[in-house]
Amino acid sequence: MRFFFNTILVGSCLLGFCRAEAVTVETPKRIDVKRLSRTVEDVVVPLPNEIFGALNKLDEVNWKEFVRSNNNTNFTERPRIALLLGTEIADGFIAVQAEDAPTVKEIGQRVVYLAKGIGVGNSIVPHAKAITEAADQRNWQEVRQELDRTQNSVQEAMNEVHDEKLSQLVSLGGWLRGTQVLTAVVNRHFSADGAELLHQPDLLEYFQRKLANMPEFTVPILGQIRSSLVEVKPLIDVEKPISAASVKKINQITSGLDEQIVTRRK
Amino acid sequence: MRASFLKNNRGALFVGALLALQVAGSRASVDDAHSFALQAAEPYVKQGYQVREDYWGGDLGVGEKKAVRQQLFKGNEYWFWMGTEVEQAKISVHVYDSDGKIAEQPDSWQKGHFAASHLIPKTTGSYFIIVAVDSSPEERTHWALVYGFK
Repeated sequence: MRFFFNTILVGSCLLGFCRAEAVTVETPKRIDVKRLSRTVEDVVVPLPNEIFGALNKLDEVNWKEFVRSNNNTNFTERPRIALLLGTEIADGFIAVQAEDAPTVKEIGQRVVYLAKGIGVGNSIVPHAKAITEAADQRNWQEVRQELDRTQNSVQEAMNEVHDEKLSQLVSLGGWLRGTQVLTAVVNRHFSADGAELLHQPDLLEYFQRKLANMPEFTVPILGQIRSSLVEVKPLIDVEKPISAASVKKINQITSGLDEQIVTRRK
Repeated sequence: MRASFLKNNRGALFVGALLALQVAGSRASVDDAHSFALQAAEPYVKQGYQVREDYWGGDLGVGEKKAVRQQLFKGNEYWFWMGTEVEQAKISVHVYDSDGKIAEQPDSWQKGHFAASHLIPKTTGSYFIIVAVDSSPEERTHWALVYGFK
């Protein structure tokens, strides 16, 4: 992404230039999605702040309530570290929403520590430094971008050493924490538009498929996540609006999972 | 997604070396396509769009299309930017809702080896993004697609 900002060609000219051009190829007004759905590629998992941003536009949210830090849990099992790493990055996005610079910086350091635990720490040290600098300047847009870069670098480093499954667990950890906070906010002040943000059945199926392909990971938390996703699916994969009761139930489920992800149990 | 074009080529030393070169070349081109997609996105960063680091990429023949599916959220605004390093190519990107109805805004645009589609989702859910190479001097044209939101 960085070298893009350094490219010689001037993108700002491009925008005006392109807007002036009419689309010359006839654009189909409708496509047959049933035929396409067999060939679609995997989804890019949305960032937590993609959902938080949409939520913010519906209602004022007191993000400070959801900020957490001092999570010093440590694990030796790599799948657990990966899940926790995703959760921590999501917590970073929450701290940015709350504009809480000290917590953002703390989370940046924590993410490096966890990434080192799964052997990819070196790739994100520069990002942690950039997060600290941007947080000091209260440049929240840059912190958000840097958190995305952090997650991306972690996942690229994992993919390079064929740890794609751990990379998927990082995404899953972030998605679960994001869903927990989304449901907590909507549960507090229910609105149909807020609940609609939970309508993510394809994403849920994506995670189910990925989890089904990880039989070698025997940590109990993955089994719990698998069965929890089975419970959540009928609550969000509905034609009618998602109900307040469903939001509450999903919050209970994701809060239970979050507790297990961040806590070492004896 | 990016890994889709990074195949694991191993075998006889010579063949392996050739394949490695081929793969390296392939990657370089998709990386180039990615930088052009990001170039198309650059002006929008100034408008407050957060451009995702993750992206889709591959290669297509002329007239060939590819569909990607993405979860989008009502309340946000999205742009999808596509690029290729083949400057004589003409490419396109369009966004459809889950029923297959075109969902993009009229200011979506296409200009040679750049294209972009603007979406303000009416509902939260999955959308289909269709990328195509309409014309190109190359047999296969590398492409990359990035998206941003605000």
